[in-house]
Amino acid sequence: MADTEKNILNRLYFVAGIMFVFALAVVFKLLTIQLVQGDKYRELAEKRTVKNVTIPANRGNVYASDGSLLATSIPKYDIRFDALTPTTKTFESYLKPLSDSLSKYTGKSSGYHEQELRKARANKNRYFLIARNINYTDYTRIRNFPLLNLGAFRGGLIVEQTTKREHPMGGIAQRSIGYERIDKDEHVVRAGIEGAFGEMYLRGTDGHRMKQKIGQGQWKPITDYNEIEPKDGYDVYTTIDVNIQDIAHHALLEQLEKYKADHGSVIVMETKTGEIKAISNLGRNANGHYYERLNYAVAESHEPGSTFKIMAITAALEDKVIDTSDVFDTQKGVLSFYGKKVRDSKHGGYGKISLAKAIEVSSNTAIVAAIDKAYKDQPSKFIDRLYAMNLNRRLDLALVGEPEPIIPDPRIKNGRWSGIALQWMAYGYGVSFTPLQTLTFYNAIANNGEMVKPQFLREVREFDKTIVPFKKEVLNPRICSQETVDKVKKLLENVVEHGTGKKLYSPSFSMAGKTGTCQKDYANKDKLSYISSFAGFFPADNPKYSCIVVIHEPDKSVGYYGGDVSGPVFKKIAQKIFTDTPISDEVETLKFQNAIVNKDFENYYDTAQTYKTIMPDVRGMPAMDALALLENMGLKVKIEGVGVIKKQSIEKGSKIKRNQEVYLNI
Amino acid sequence: MVSDDSFKNWRVIIFISVLAIIMIASSHSADQKVHDIARLNNEVKEWRSAFVDGRSKLMRLKMESGIVQKMAEKEIAPSPNPPKKIKVKSEK
Repeated sequence: MADTEKNILNRLYFVAGIMFVFALAVVFKLLTIQLVQGDKYRELAEKRTVKNVTIPANRGNVYASDGSLLATSIPKYDIRFDALTPTTKTFESYLKPLSDSLSKYTGKSSGYHEQELRKARANKNRYFLIARNINYTDYTRIRNFPLLNLGAFRGGLIVEQTTKREHPMGGIAQRSIGYERIDKDEHVVRAGIEGAFGEMYLRGTDGHRMKQKIGQGQWKPITDYNEIEPKDGYDVYTTIDVNIQDIAHHALLEQLEKYKADHGSVIVMETKTGEIKAISNLGRNANGHYYERLNYAVAESHEPGSTFKIMAITAALEDKVIDTSDVFDTQKGVLSFYGKKVRDSKHGGYGKISLAKAIEVSSNTAIVAAIDKAYKDQPSKFIDRLYAMNLNRRLDLALVGEPEPIIPDPRIKNGRWSGIALQWMAYGYGVSFTPLQTLTFYNAIANNGEMVKPQFLREVREFDKTIVPFKKEVLNPRICSQETVDKVKKLLENVVEHGTGKKLYSPSFSMAGKTGTCQKDYANKDKLSYISSFAGFFPADNPKYSCIVVIHEPDKSVGYYGGDVSGPVFKKIAQKIFTDTPISDEVETLKFQNAIVNKDFENYYDTAQTYKTIMPDVRGMPAMDALALLENMGLKVKIEGVGVIKKQSIEKGSKIKRNQEVYLNI
Repeated sequence: MVSDDSFKNWRVIIFISVLAIIMIASSHSADQKVHDIARLNNEVKEWRSAFVDGRSKLMRLKMESGIVQKMAEKEIAPSPNPPKKIKVKSEK
């Protein structure tokens, strides 16, 4: 027995020994993992469960001056479908209703969708695209379609959300609002206001934070310290007026379509401050549709043609080398310099006309003759005067892409100056400006000689706190004397009243401006086309807004004169602003009596009191009174014409019934 | 553990257990909050999206060119004359 007892004990010791060794091995392994390989494993674990998360900053919004949203970031959704997730039974039972719903959404047939979905399942497509880049409303709609409403695990719905820049105004002013695009290699493409002010104000700075994985794809922050809070971008308030922009856009579009032009732009600027109220750039694509393609108004420099005559004449008037009453011979409409000919658009010229008249009819010969006579011996003086009016300088806009103006200078050897440079400049060839540069000059005339910088931004804000206010910037406090300004203003007013802009004239509101019809690609006669422009301001006597319209390459068979092509856009904008401003009228008192009105009223009142069920005599009564009276009695009144009642279909004194019809003739 | 003066030990044990429970609970509630925040964030995005959607619809609707087009069917056009405002001086 003892023997067995010892045996048992021995066995027990043996087992215990083995277990002890095993335990030792475990402890040893534990220690090596902890101490020897510990760092490696700890790092691995951390990598899997902890990461440094970038918290993206919200990009600021772009607003119009009245607070309307022009650009904002919103989530967009891609909806995909995992075709393998639903069981065969679920898939088959929901396939038909899902296809029907999709067909209602896309407009394609239900059969088409059924086939596509079946194909996706057969091909084991776990990422079948249902809709891309849709907004929230559509997303909630699709999410509730049969099968997809079962969710990710039973229905196979996959939703991916991205943040996109959205323009609530649609295509309007899109190019000027612009964008900022950053590609994989960190190259930034900048356009418009978003591009110009993106880095400075809109973008904000991203934050960082250490986070730990906690399941269900969620991460929780580990510590409160050691992190960078994201700083949201500021909101940018532009000077754009949504109503004027809307009118400008549609007026330009209409003219472009009518004249099948290649592209065009329009800018409306507030005279006193230089605030850009509207800027629209439309170009034609291959299908003949127009959309905001490039910022032509800011970036496209071209020969201005006749609109430059005003700059030339302003310079000459300021130098007092000519006057508006000087008379020039248009030489039967052709003038030549070194064998090159200057022609008037009217065959045979205008005879002998004053300079004022020459501007009205936009005579090339008379103006070239005037500038030639005044400056041919001292062209540098003319150039210096143009320089003094800031015409050779860029506007230094924040928007990228503005080119330098081109003005030939005899003292600068760059191949631009020639024997005919001065004469050709006089009517706008050989020089080059962007529409905005030209407008800035016209605005200076409207603003009594004070040249202000075009302003796109009103302020930069963070919620309701102004961060950066933008004030008006003066480029040149006086480009020319008040006397010259007054003369030029008068010239421009006359262009609309009796000159090339006569078709725009309206007796109810005043405008002033200059038409321009400039040849483009004139080196090759076959490719010859036109640039039609109109620059000016309104109202003429006390300018509030200046505006330029430039339309490139209108269809010559439809028309190409500045007054016909571009002028109407200008007029529409001017008229709109005119009709939007109420005319104030003051009367002294309301306490006065009008005998006729009083008599009519008494007559009406008496009749209404006397006749309740019997037809009164309404002849001689104003239609408005008779209608009210009879309808109150319960009659159905039919009236023909306006004025005083002459005939009534029911005789006076007859008893009337409710809803009986009565005809009144006038 | 069962002796008479073991009460002290028990006190510590219970204290530590309670502490542990509180710790676990608070950690869970923190996790819960993270989930809540994620859900609310999604909601915010959705509402924002809905807001911008509604706003762009409104802006297109209230744009004058749109109204002119709609009213053209009813043969109503914008007036070529500005509205007149009559001020009565004596009634101020």
